[in-house]
Amino acid sequence: MIETTTGAEAARGSYDAVVVGAGWAGSLIAEKLGRRGWRVLVLEAGEAGTQTWSGYLDSVRTFHSAVAKVPNSAYRHNAAAPSPDVLDLSPDASGSGEGRPEYTADGYFVQKGKMPYGTDYVRALGGAGMHWLGAVPRMHPDDFTTRSTYGYGRDWPIDAADLEPYYEEAEKELGVAGDAEGQRHLGVVSDSGYLYPMHRIPPSHIDKYCHEKLEGREVTDPMGDKRELHVRSLPQARNSTPAPEYDKRKGYRPKGAVGLPNYGERCVGNASCVPICPVQAKSTPLRVQDGFSDSVTLAARSVATRVLRGQDRRVRAVEYRSYNDPASPTSESHTVRADIVVLAAHAIENARLLLASELATTSGQVGRNLMDHPTTLAWALAADQVGPYRGPGHTSGVEDFRFGGKRRERAPFRIELSNWGWTWSTGAPMSNVASALALGGKSDGGVKTGGVFGPQLRSLLGSTIGRQLQLQIAVEQSADENNRVTIDPRRYRDAMGNPRPIIHYDLGEHVREGVYAAYEVSERIFTELGATSYTDHEPVDGVPPLGHFVHRGTDLTYHGAGHGAGTHIMGTDPNDSVVDADQRTHDHPNLYAVGCGSMPSVGTSNPTLTMCALALRSAERIHRDLAALSQPTNLRSRANAEEKV
Amino acid sequence: MRPIPEDTLRFVRLCVPLTGFAPFDLHATGMAQLYLDTARQQVGRYRLDTFLTELTEACTPLLDPSELSETDREIARAITYLWYTGAWPKLAVDAHADLRREMANTEFVVAPSTYVEGLVWRTFQSHPVGAKPPGFGTWGREPAELPPLTEIVQECGLAEQTGGSRPEEESTRGERSVPGGTRIEPHMLPGPRVARDVPPSALPTARAPRSERNTA
Repeated sequence: MIETTTGAEAARGSYDAVVVGAGWAGSLIAEKLGRRGWRVLVLEAGEAGTQTWSGYLDSVRTFHSAVAKVPNSAYRHNAAAPSPDVLDLSPDASGSGEGRPEYTADGYFVQKGKMPYGTDYVRALGGAGMHWLGAVPRMHPDDFTTRSTYGYGRDWPIDAADLEPYYEEAEKELGVAGDAEGQRHLGVVSDSGYLYPMHRIPPSHIDKYCHEKLEGREVTDPMGDKRELHVRSLPQARNSTPAPEYDKRKGYRPKGAVGLPNYGERCVGNASCVPICPVQAKSTPLRVQDGFSDSVTLAARSVATRVLRGQDRRVRAVEYRSYNDPASPTSESHTVRADIVVLAAHAIENARLLLASELATTSGQVGRNLMDHPTTLAWALAADQVGPYRGPGHTSGVEDFRFGGKRRERAPFRIELSNWGWTWSTGAPMSNVASALALGGKSDGGVKTGGVFGPQLRSLLGSTIGRQLQLQIAVEQSADENNRVTIDPRRYRDAMGNPRPIIHYDLGEHVREGVYAAYEVSERIFTELGATSYTDHEPVDGVPPLGHFVHRGTDLTYHGAGHGAGTHIMGTDPNDSVVDADQRTHDHPNLYAVGCGSMPSVGTSNPTLTMCALALRSAERIHRDLAALSQPTNLRSRANAEEKV
Repeated sequence: MRPIPEDTLRFVRLCVPLTGFAPFDLHATGMAQLYLDTARQQVGRYRLDTFLTELTEACTPLLDPSELSETDREIARAITYLWYTGAWPKLAVDAHADLRREMANTEFVVAPSTYVEGLVWRTFQSHPVGAKPPGFGTWGREPAELPPLTEIVQECGLAEQTGGSRPEEESTRGERSVPGGTRIEPHMLPGPRVARDVPPSALPTARAPRSERNTA
């Protein structure tokens, strides 16, 4: 059972470490430290409630009744701790062709960039780990060295081999189902004997359909990069069948639902992983919180406002505000001291907190290098019924354009075979009903003619929805100092008075080339599949779709992937990076900033697994730091100590 | 259990030619009363009665939408959309103005359970996303075959009079949408979602595929 307390109650305790944020990274670190007996306070800005079964079901119902079933649709608005939402962005035709932005933003983010930052997160217990899909591919060794290998982006101070044991540990903590053999073929798993804790999630009929038509076919991208296509299973943090041979035949015991004793099952195919899995077969940070030891205190409705500086370069405390009513701006301030402070509040929130606290300023890199996986969608009608809207969001992908080849010239990309039809690109299947009925009127307000009803409607929808194929192509975006988060407390604050993130975002030439190549490859894949492409990025009635741009004379669009990264990237040089390889700030020996914000590059892998591996690695270092702080004082004089050397 | 009121029974009967689902299926959603109440609230009690009378006239027994006035046609679409998705849609501006309602013209889901009972999922033999899950691994199975149009017509009890008063093109028009390679007009498909906050009922329709646009 997960117990939460109030901010006021939490302020009365004393702690070895304070962790800001109860998402994946914060929860994993708190759990590891708690297990070793450290007194940890976890501050969650948003609401709790999903840790109880009734609260969780309430979120499921909230999702059911949402018109736009977007990632945040299962989680209610919270004025005290607002979240960015993909619904905040609208296209704006007035900017077209004049070099002005083609969008407006009306939400938590103040967006001032040339292009919209379409990525969201949710400030609630579990964070974005509640609405994530659960895709957990590892990064490839090349992804850590794009600067030295391909001449773009930034290198990591650690490599894939350093991270491998932590990847394995993260896969155990998250509960990953996957096909290790396939991942070895890709080169992302090097241990020849490694198994995932659970057997791979069974491939969908769409996977098999695509496999049959694509396997071994050759496709050339517009840069002349010729690849043989393979359809590969995706590792997922989702309950499947446990592998008895896992971990030297110790096996793996899947974790069940939180808040309902003795309830847990394998994925039953609700097909709603984003935003919520009704049976909790998808892994969430609640599972980790459920294992917190008694020495961990979890306070919800507690918004960190500043980290306070202490003596020397150390930080001494976290200032936060607690509230009783998310709709009211009334809140109360508290300060809690700690030996170590860990910011684990999301890349953008971490940056916002560091900026508001005026900490880690040496490099000037806080808030800079904001990244995402700009994702371009491609959609088509297959010649046959393929069975969309069944199973997890995607169970296989085409990984062949992720590594090597023309990566120097264009950003690499990972092609997901969607199991959810045209839902992301066109709002299907609901929009199918509207267009078949000719509902909603003409642009001049008039009622449309045409439309089908009755048996014809049912038959048309069956045929056209049942044949929907969609490719979601995530393109790597490399670190660029000009993509950044800033704050301006005098002008932009939220209801509680905290500074809102100001975003400057654009796509560099390398990414644009990648999006363009991805689009062209998608068209070729649809040809191989014998499907009719309906991919359409052109303006509609003069209004450019969100994320629209023209590259090489071709209309293209991208969406946010929800993979916010960068903002406090790691490196060896304190003058050009914010944290070290352990995610400890160069400037402050007891202040850590963890999460995707530390990543110097994101490759083409969904970043959660890498973030969790980094968090587990940092947890060990934090434990050592705390242990060192608790050592008995050395009574020998300094002079004696030096003599010995 | 109380008997189903006569007006609800009549509403469901009239919704068969709108939806292409038999009265049994419509009643089985458990939503008939709620949908009638919703339509009354959105359209107005008196106006809905007029519509249902007009609808009766226009169904012989399949619906010929051209027999309906513009506003009635939009009401017919809205009620069908409600059955298929559990949501009341955004109407054509002119129709909304003609109805003189005080309610905002926006799409809303009537209740969490109406979403779950949407009929759209059944058209392609699936389940509502996020509810009624079919079980581990079922997504790997070949999708179930879809019933041919004639079977749906039969099942709805809409076949017996077709030979009589209905003109020929009604049945041939149906054939065009049958699976198996016959052409589907792009405007019958949804177009790109230009922004995430545009409700499904207000999205543009598709344009011709790129291959055809280039040659045009």
